[in-house]
Amino acid sequence: MTNPEVYKFFSDYVYQHTGILYKEQDYYRLDSRFNTLVKKFEVKDASELFNLYVQKITPEMHTILIDLCTNNETYFMRDLKPFKAFAKEGMDYLKETFPNSISYNIWSAACSTGQEPLSLLMALDSFGDKLNLNKYKIEASDISTNALDKAKKGLYTGLEVQRGLPANLLIQYFSQVEDNWQVNKDLHNKISFKKLNLLTESFPLNEYHIIFCRNVLIYQDMENKKKILSKISDAIKPGGLLFMGAGESLIGVDIPMKQLELGKAFCYVKDS
Amino acid sequence: MKVLVIDDSKPIFMMVSQMLKELGHEAIWAENGQDGFEKVTANSDLELVLLDWNMPVMDGLEFLKKNGAESFCKAPIVMMTTENKPEKIQEALKNGAIDYIMKPFTADILENKIEMVCD
Ligand SMILES: C[S@@+](CC[C@H](N)C(=O)[O-])C[C@H]1O[C@@H](n2cnc3c(N)ncnc32)[C@H](O)[C@@H]1O
Ligand SMILES: [Mg+2]
Repeated sequence: MTNPEVYKFFSDYVYQHTGILYKEQDYYRLDSRFNTLVKKFEVKDASELFNLYVQKITPEMHTILIDLCTNNETYFMRDLKPFKAFAKEGMDYLKETFPNSISYNIWSAACSTGQEPLSLLMALDSFGDKLNLNKYKIEASDISTNALDKAKKGLYTGLEVQRGLPANLLIQYFSQVEDNWQVNKDLHNKISFKKLNLLTESFPLNEYHIIFCRNVLIYQDMENKKKILSKISDAIKPGGLLFMGAGESLIGVDIPMKQLELGKAFCYVKDS
Repeated sequence: MKVLVIDDSKPIFMMVSQMLKELGHEAIWAENGQDGFEKVTANSDLELVLLDWNMPVMDGLEFLKKNGAESFCKAPIVMMTTENKPEKIQEALKNGAIDYIMKPFTADILENKIEMVCD
């Protein structure tokens, strides 16, 4: 039996640094994570792990813990409709709203292993007007070092590429490396990946035409969700768009954005 | 919906049929392309065909080509095979398959492909 004090210590630490919330009734979800750490640091059990972490948390120990406590679940073209709407109606909207912009800044704000920003580019290229992809600046960030490392490699398993990705896009944008699939360089190189903590770091002001912030705020409590969304809203250009996950909304969050129906999807537009 | 699974392996049919059942669909079986052709003709209410590549009598590619010439099958056809080379995928798509599932796959992937194809 792991001591409640141990759970509390780790869940507090993770909450404080990421906003990811493990409530008391979720403590059991830390067990498998403790097991991984116990093996990693070659200690006996969770309480020895605790003894190790209370003494001193090195940057490496920090990264390993945070990586483990994030849920990096993602897949290509997740929910499909937002990606189609983004590429078609979203681009029409941008052309009209920002007639003088020669390029568009797009940010995938919790990109996990890279499927989301890659899907944005594939969507533009295959559902959109086949505009010059150089018109887009795509940034992608995540708090998880592991997830980002994978995103930067752009190498996916047969199972991963089949989740959400139609076969015509697979053969168009990937090449096979043994049983895995490597995304083409010209697509991959268009994305700049960086590590970023949405909760603790600040974002550039009025910078982005579009932000995708999907399936990450669900792990936050209301207070942190508001805090992050208000920074996100400041980061979007007036008239720019925010795409959230299916079932996520701005209900209860007071920021200057309004819901907008775009094709078969919903997004939010920042007041101008 | 009603799904025709054309695959010479009974165990694979059983597995796929179970997955389809859990997704609320009904599966019928054909054990090769020729049998598949007959089942398609006899079942006008088919909404999807899952098609293996390597089979005796008539293989998946021959089935696609026959359908390309005669268009007897109105339902979308998705390949479902261990063949996983890009050239093979390309060839199947060129011959009328609408999407492609590489074995092994998970119920998740099958569900996702069905959603995309039948939307
Ligand atoms: C479930 S994934 C969603 C990925 C993708 N946006 C999608 O919708 O498929 C959530 C991601 O959010 C990241 N994350 C969690 N908390 C974060 C924070 N405070 N700052 C930045 N990223 C965070 C996790 O590392 C994880 O990769
Ligand atoms: Mg076979």
